[in-house]
Amino acid sequence: MTTVALAGNPNCGKTSLFNALTGSHQHVGNWPGVTVERRSGTFRAEGLEVVVVDLPGTYSLSARSEDERVASSFLASPEPDVIVNVLDASNLERNLYLSTQLLELRRPMVFALNMMDDAERDGWKLDVATLSTLLGGPVVVTVGNRGEGIEALKAAILAQARCDDPSLDPAQWPPRVTYGDDIEGEIRLLAEEVRRDEVLVADLPGRWWALRLLEGAGDALARAEASHAAQAIRARLENSRAFLKEHLGAPVDTLLAERRYGFAHGLVREVARRDNAPVRNLTDRLDAILTGRFTGFPVFLAVMVAIYVLTFVVGKIPQDAVGAAMGWIHDTAAAQLPPGELTSLFVDGVIPGVGSVLVFLPSIMILMGCVSFLEDTGYMARAAFIMDRLMHLMGLHGKSFIPLIMGMGCNTPAIQATRTIEAKSDRLITILVTPFMSCSARLPVYILLAGAFFRPFAGALAVVAMHLLGFAVAVVAGKLLRMSLFRRENAPFVMELPPYRLPVLKTTLLHMWEKAFVFLRKAGTLIFAGATLIWFLSNYPGIADRDLAARYQAAEAAVQAQNLPEAERKAKLGELDMARKGEIMNTSLAARFGKVLQPVFRPIFDPQRQRPEAWKDGVALTAGFMAKEIVVGTMAVIHQAPAEGEDGAALSPLQQSLRDRSGLTPLTALAFMVFVLIYTPCLGTVGMIHKETRSLGWTAFSVAYGLGLGWLLAWFTVLGGRALGFA
Amino acid sequence: MTPMPLDTFKAGESGRIARVEADEAIQRRLLDMGLVRGEAITVKKLAPLGDPMELVVKGYHLSLRRAESACILVERAQP
Repeated sequence: MTTVALAGNPNCGKTSLFNALTGSHQHVGNWPGVTVERRSGTFRAEGLEVVVVDLPGTYSLSARSEDERVASSFLASPEPDVIVNVLDASNLERNLYLSTQLLELRRPMVFALNMMDDAERDGWKLDVATLSTLLGGPVVVTVGNRGEGIEALKAAILAQARCDDPSLDPAQWPPRVTYGDDIEGEIRLLAEEVRRDEVLVADLPGRWWALRLLEGAGDALARAEASHAAQAIRARLENSRAFLKEHLGAPVDTLLAERRYGFAHGLVREVARRDNAPVRNLTDRLDAILTGRFTGFPVFLAVMVAIYVLTFVVGKIPQDAVGAAMGWIHDTAAAQLPPGELTSLFVDGVIPGVGSVLVFLPSIMILMGCVSFLEDTGYMARAAFIMDRLMHLMGLHGKSFIPLIMGMGCNTPAIQATRTIEAKSDRLITILVTPFMSCSARLPVYILLAGAFFRPFAGALAVVAMHLLGFAVAVVAGKLLRMSLFRRENAPFVMELPPYRLPVLKTTLLHMWEKAFVFLRKAGTLIFAGATLIWFLSNYPGIADRDLAARYQAAEAAVQAQNLPEAERKAKLGELDMARKGEIMNTSLAARFGKVLQPVFRPIFDPQRQRPEAWKDGVALTAGFMAKEIVVGTMAVIHQAPAEGEDGAALSPLQQSLRDRSGLTPLTALAFMVFVLIYTPCLGTVGMIHKETRSLGWTAFSVAYGLGLGWLLAWFTVLGGRALGFA
Repeated sequence: MTPMPLDTFKAGESGRIARVEADEAIQRRLLDMGLVRGEAITVKKLAPLGDPMELVVKGYHLSLRRAESACILVERAQP
């Protein structure tokens, strides 16, 4: 088995090349310990199984960002047998900078000169044979998205992998980039010190280590510090740095970068000719509109509206179909299976639990398809470009806008969409503030309460106010998090604006499928477990109580025996069912929990301590952990009043019951809405936060500060309202 | 001619990079992206809200916040 690493700059077409090489034999996961995607796949040729690992796109191997760390540590490990360096032919000079670093690894290499069609359109003529001589490795011309040159690339990879000609031994290669006498001298001295530790130079040349150390690459410094020769290396390194700075007048990392770019520049001069450069290419013309002063924002808004509509309006069709299918399975199972605990577990626990995972799938797939499309066309970078000023005010990155806007539809896919943000701190802050965006599942709660306690106009105002409050909280929380927890992490906004390209449909579809699959496997399990736990808490011990079951069975039998007209009989049976569920719920562990919670909620929902039913709030909110819309259904059960009104009635029975009997006032109802807005969104989101942060700590933090903040803001609502004279 | 911070440049102006004076992480990133001494650089345009800037260097397009482009000292080309 041979392992091939695909390395290259972002936007060099690495992914389409990877897809063309491996076809459907792919596997996507994460790199160990980090949330950088790890894609690997295989192809078979000449009886050899070749594993292809797609490294994250990087501009260099300095190992500053997580992506670079992953790429450089994989390349420095003994794992890859051949390195394929993908080069964007239309932007050769900057792409060759990474090549200079890769060449220093002294591993068998193949260069894939990709996007040759773009380069030719821009008027470039490249001398491939000379490029191959100067780089010292085979150069294959490819057009990844059309699958051109793939067979030649496979052949070149196999030739390198099999290489048994000692004259081609990469360890014997002359260095490609020479850094001048002064620097080369220090490199030699430093390499000598590194060679004292056989472990360090077992897989990698001493010269490579010396260069990494001079550059100040984090992973190399850490490895050197752990070596038994650490002291000698450190002393030599400090000397070399001081010497070079004094003699050459600049820090050594600057000097190295300049020499590397000098090499790349010279190479391009040698192999590339440009006859007729187009004056204004397609990208310039599109940019005049897409990032234009007056047109940029209207276009951006239109794109966002289109994605929102696709994800949450069009996406609602398959989502409703999933819901209807789950409902049918639920009803069928409920009708067919004998009543009992196991049936209830299945019917009220497992089926809704699976359903609560599956309903997210359509919107996740559509949103991720859109995000992938925007990324691949190059528009994502432009949108970040025009939005960065606003997002930066919130302590966020230009790319944070997608999660925030999509969060108004559903937080779960929105949090997955934070994947496009490179810097870890930007990404974490975005993940932590996205749940404050008022998602569509919170709307039924607002409508229920606003309808019951406010006149129509004031009610509509309250619903709008909730959305604005959510946005404001996200802004303030983002700013505070940036100023407190992430103050020291300085992520520069250095972003390439790549040329516009038409994405390959297959890549977009693969992306959608991957996201869906990873969601089902990672977040799905947590959501499912949580749903089952909440079913257990809301049904035990009542559901196992035989007396209670017998009592209701007798009552049902009595109704059946009365020989009533069909409609009346159904209504009576419905009432009985409601009463039974209510009794189970009101004696359940969740209800006990709600009663324990009562003192906690008293200041916000019962400031005057005169509501005997205040404990029911805690029950509804506990059940709402699963999903916010469940708050309404739970309230219907515990207040013994259906949430659906009769036709023509202004208020549903539940709304009447809440208004007349629950003891909530307009003010405490508003506080309730505020709390529902801010506290932990739902299990789906929690599962996704855990999947995306890979940290129980951050997941717990998100849940805890949501709860705390929700309580505080609800309390402020009550305090403020009372100060203004409302009850 | 004394080098000026890049954030003082208007859209359409260009020059040559004299030096980059930023803290280590940013400096490193800018070097890796090809913003080395002597390189020609052009301010292509500003974002609609005035920040960040779009630059052209080594034939590709790059966006930088003003705060970071202020670290790049550039000798202005004579128009």
